[in-house]
Amino acid sequence: MTKIFTVTELNERIKDRLEDDVRLHDLWARGEISNVVNHRSGHRYFTLKDRDSQLSCVLFRSQGSPNFELRDGQNVLVFGDVGVYRPQGRVQLIARGIRLDAGLGFRQMEYEALKRRLASEGLFDLERKRALPKYPERIGIVTSPDGAALRDVLRIIGPYPALILLSPAQVQGDGAEESIALALRALRGRTDIVIVCRGGGSAEDLWCFNSELVARAIFECDAPVISAVGHETDVTIADFVADVRAATPTAAAEMAVPDLEELRNELIKAEVRMVRALWSGLERRRERLDYLSRSVSARRMSSLAAEARQQLDYVAERLVTVQKERLKTLGTRLEYARGRLAAVGPMATLCRGYAIARSQRGLILRAEDVQPGEMIELLLAQGRVLARVLEYENDEDVTW
Amino acid sequence: MVSGKEMGLEEALDNLERIVAELEEGKLGLEENLDLFERGMSLVRLCNARLESAEQRIESLTGELPSDLS
Repeated sequence: MTKIFTVTELNERIKDRLEDDVRLHDLWARGEISNVVNHRSGHRYFTLKDRDSQLSCVLFRSQGSPNFELRDGQNVLVFGDVGVYRPQGRVQLIARGIRLDAGLGFRQMEYEALKRRLASEGLFDLERKRALPKYPERIGIVTSPDGAALRDVLRIIGPYPALILLSPAQVQGDGAEESIALALRALRGRTDIVIVCRGGGSAEDLWCFNSELVARAIFECDAPVISAVGHETDVTIADFVADVRAATPTAAAEMAVPDLEELRNELIKAEVRMVRALWSGLERRRERLDYLSRSVSARRMSSLAAEARQQLDYVAERLVTVQKERLKTLGTRLEYARGRLAAVGPMATLCRGYAIARSQRGLILRAEDVQPGEMIELLLAQGRVLARVLEYENDEDVTW
Repeated sequence: MVSGKEMGLEEALDNLERIVAELEEGKLGLEENLDLFERGMSLVRLCNARLESAEQRIESLTGELPSDLS
């Protein structure tokens, strides 16, 4: 006759059977802690797990406190007996002692193994690290839309003119690995640089950045990737694969964009150099009146001179405010150059008694440019004169 | 060459650098120099305008931005 148990009877039977087994008394179990609950009753509940399996544990208040704070992710050795909590039919380890396990936990071992494997596949190779673009136009960010890390990054790159593409990801908990990998792939072909980041957290929180899935997604990114996970001391597998590792999200943002102040100074310097180069060109030509050759019209010349002068005022003014002391000498030189500039316009030259001579073929710079009997034109400070060539001397010794 | 509107900051700065170097070399005729100078100045203006116009342009691939960012 088959016996029909009530649930209570069955659990009672299991409990008796397990708790009578001396092999399940006074044993040590090794594993990693998760799901710690410090109940207000003073009892501590947690789960002990390894790669493939897990077991409920309880440390009753009557056993006293362990000499360290129980935290998720710790590798521990638990001493105790197997018991059954009858109301829930739950097999558990009733701890009487617990201590930290100095050896590598399974997770650490997994981490080391994955790191070795990916390294041997070349995912960390220095030769494949790409240089970051100097002036990115499209910046992709993979992180939680709600995290402080995103705000930190935006605070730095906000003033820089680029399109910022947020690819939201869940950066901790179940499904985080898949979410991060997906968010990275979604940026394919859309950005010049990618920042993947999250703020500080427990080793457990950051663990998704040690997954193979995330490592490969970073590896496959078509734009250079900066990773910034947790704090300075947290180094994850994602950091090894990324083209550049930043200590924090803020540091990542600073690497991603150029320094704006520096850039503005560069632009001012470029202006100064151009204005100066143009002037020194004018200076050189003043003696030869070469600048009137070919098709440069006097009007264009003077309008450009006016623009250059204005530009000088503008640049000099800004130089003074931007880099007062350092550029004092340059300012003086610009002042000098401004004086010179007024003297090199064609009108100023004509006013000093020079004339521009030209034939139908253009400017006359050498005697051989004309033929005896030819009509030529002389442009003066005011008006012009038509003249006929009587004769010319092509003598190099002719001086005035 | 791409038109001013489409030219990126990097391209503009690269061009500017080339123009400054060429001007400083001083080997060109005056007219070429003036042309270069004009082009250089318009690039400086373009870059400055770019830097000033940096209102944050943030887009989310999911289309949703947290309220404090949009």
